[in-house]
Amino acid sequence: MRYLFRFFLVLLIFVRIITTQPNFSDGDKIRITTKVASEPIKYDTSQRLVFYGLKTYLPNYPEINYGDKVVVEGVVEDGKLVSPILVSLEPSVGKLYKTRLNIIKIYQKSLPEPHASLLAGLTLGSKAGLPTSFWNALKKSGTAHVVVASGMNVTLVASFLMGVLIVLMPRRSAIPLALIGVWLYSLLSGFDAPIVRAAIMGSIVFTAQALGRLQAASKALFFSAAIMLIARPDWISDLGFILSFVATGSLMLFERKIASLIRFVPGIFREGLSTSLAAQIGVAPILYLTFGQFSLLSPIVNALVLWTVAPMTIIGGIGGILGLFSDIIGKYVIFLAYPLTSWFVWVVGIFG
Amino acid sequence: MKKLWNNIFLGLSLALIAVWMAVFVYPEKELHLIACDVGQGDAILATYGTTQILIDGGATNKVVECLGTNMPFWDRKIEVVLLTHPQLDHYGGLSEVFRRYQVEQFVATSLNSSSQSYQALISMVGGSGTGVINPTTGMVIRSGLLYLDIVWPSGDFQANEGDNLKGNILGAFTSKRDPNDFSVVANLRLGEFDALFTGDIGPEIINKVIATGKIHDVEYIKIPHHGSKNGLIKELLDEASPEVAIISVGKNSFGHPHQETLDLLKEYDIQVKRTDKDGDVELISDGKNWWIKK
Repeated sequence: MRYLFRFFLVLLIFVRIITTQPNFSDGDKIRITTKVASEPIKYDTSQRLVFYGLKTYLPNYPEINYGDKVVVEGVVEDGKLVSPILVSLEPSVGKLYKTRLNIIKIYQKSLPEPHASLLAGLTLGSKAGLPTSFWNALKKSGTAHVVVASGMNVTLVASFLMGVLIVLMPRRSAIPLALIGVWLYSLLSGFDAPIVRAAIMGSIVFTAQALGRLQAASKALFFSAAIMLIARPDWISDLGFILSFVATGSLMLFERKIASLIRFVPGIFREGLSTSLAAQIGVAPILYLTFGQFSLLSPIVNALVLWTVAPMTIIGGIGGILGLFSDIIGKYVIFLAYPLTSWFVWVVGIFG
Repeated sequence: MKKLWNNIFLGLSLALIAVWMAVFVYPEKELHLIACDVGQGDAILATYGTTQILIDGGATNKVVECLGTNMPFWDRKIEVVLLTHPQLDHYGGLSEVFRRYQVEQFVATSLNSSSQSYQALISMVGGSGTGVINPTTGMVIRSGLLYLDIVWPSGDFQANEGDNLKGNILGAFTSKRDPNDFSVVANLRLGEFDALFTGDIGPEIINKVIATGKIHDVEYIKIPHHGSKNGLIKELLDEASPEVAIISVGKNSFGHPHQETLDLLKEYDIQVKRTDKDGDVELISDGKNWWIKK
């Protein structure tokens, strides 16, 4: 029965991937009508969007945001949509999308760059407005994963919500509420593959807990991959999707062993070092193949900065939400993160 | 419960560190004039204590990094932003500035640009509660101890080109003339120290600017038009006799700065600093003496 189910799952993935292959080829002139599914990346004079796997570079203005409805025309060429024209742009009216933009605005109003972008990246995975030189330094020092949407954020949100809710109510009612919170968060943060991966995995693990069944984490990992590929077959070639699964898998396999090997490292840096070393085992080859570079110093830089990530994200999250109600209160809470962001920016500046 | 106390303790420690950092970066009472390295384009920040005047914003959002490093982190207000003229390499970064900072006064002519990004900037300024000032020759804008004397464009010149001078609005008129000709030329002064900002003016306009009689002896000049040979002429140097010249320039296809300009500055024995070679160029003055920060 179980094998039949697994076989069926794999078959379904194949069918979905094959049937949803885009039916256009190089040279085709196409018109795409769609909702922007993840945050556009802003460059100096252009913004990059991806429609059905086609990289599309549009001028910086009008500004396009995650959740907006767009109609774009262009010619398919080598995985890109060249000479694209923005036919129409309908800004999103969704509350969640607006809230996201408002929170980012609060960071930008409260802290200078690159501190504001760092907080926006940490809490919401937003890369809009990230200064180019800082982004390059992050990439070079192997810490870019911190400011992109990652499973770490979901884990933080889930454990923060559980920590608060468990004080107020029994575990059985806290779990579904925390799950609602996690899914709201994943919508808020741009619904990128790594976030969705973590949200699904978290849901599986939490639900299994609530039902009193022990679930192997590795099973949850494969099952969430299957669900995601059935829902969004185009994610099979999404770098974020691949890295997220490989990194999580490596963590599960190696983290504990490495942690016990490096007991000599001082407390606050140890977890950062062991997790980044473990993740690197799987991730480094992929990064090397895709970007032709990876940083040998990366685990050290990560060890130096990763301990600041949880407090920065939590302070940023609380400050951002309070800022929606009162600018001043939000600002003062966000100031609390400044010593930590300064440390982070300083270390990354040295190694980047 | 113990965890809660731990977190409160952590929060209080962070607050204490933040307060110490805030005190530590409290600015001294000196003029800092920073020509930000923003690639090809102009962005010059003048600060005195907690007063800031930003002249142009470069083409990209690089200017916000310069603001970030040269302003205390808790100061989220820029007193004056001056846009010399609506071309991308001068206003491009300003929308990011308005997004992040509260700007008290925006000084710019009402010359329009049809580009979508300039229209976006206009609507952003409109929605930000910033006061708009259309400058004309003779106007003085004061902020703290810093004064900006407006040298150009003159009211007559603007009226001739179709500006009805109804005052203090953005994007009100268009002209067939090169937008460079409308560049705001301003003299920034603190005590006895003077710095001349020249936007992208060229030879023809420079003669008109000199004819206003408002150009006088200065210590510092921002060389017009990124060092183009279609910018600086010797008459301006004769009139202003600067001691140090800043060229705001980055990678470009025009050949800026042109050799002719560099030769002219050499001939006059003027110290030259370039943002493409020297990065951010910072000058400090107490209103009497001045020096370049190494």
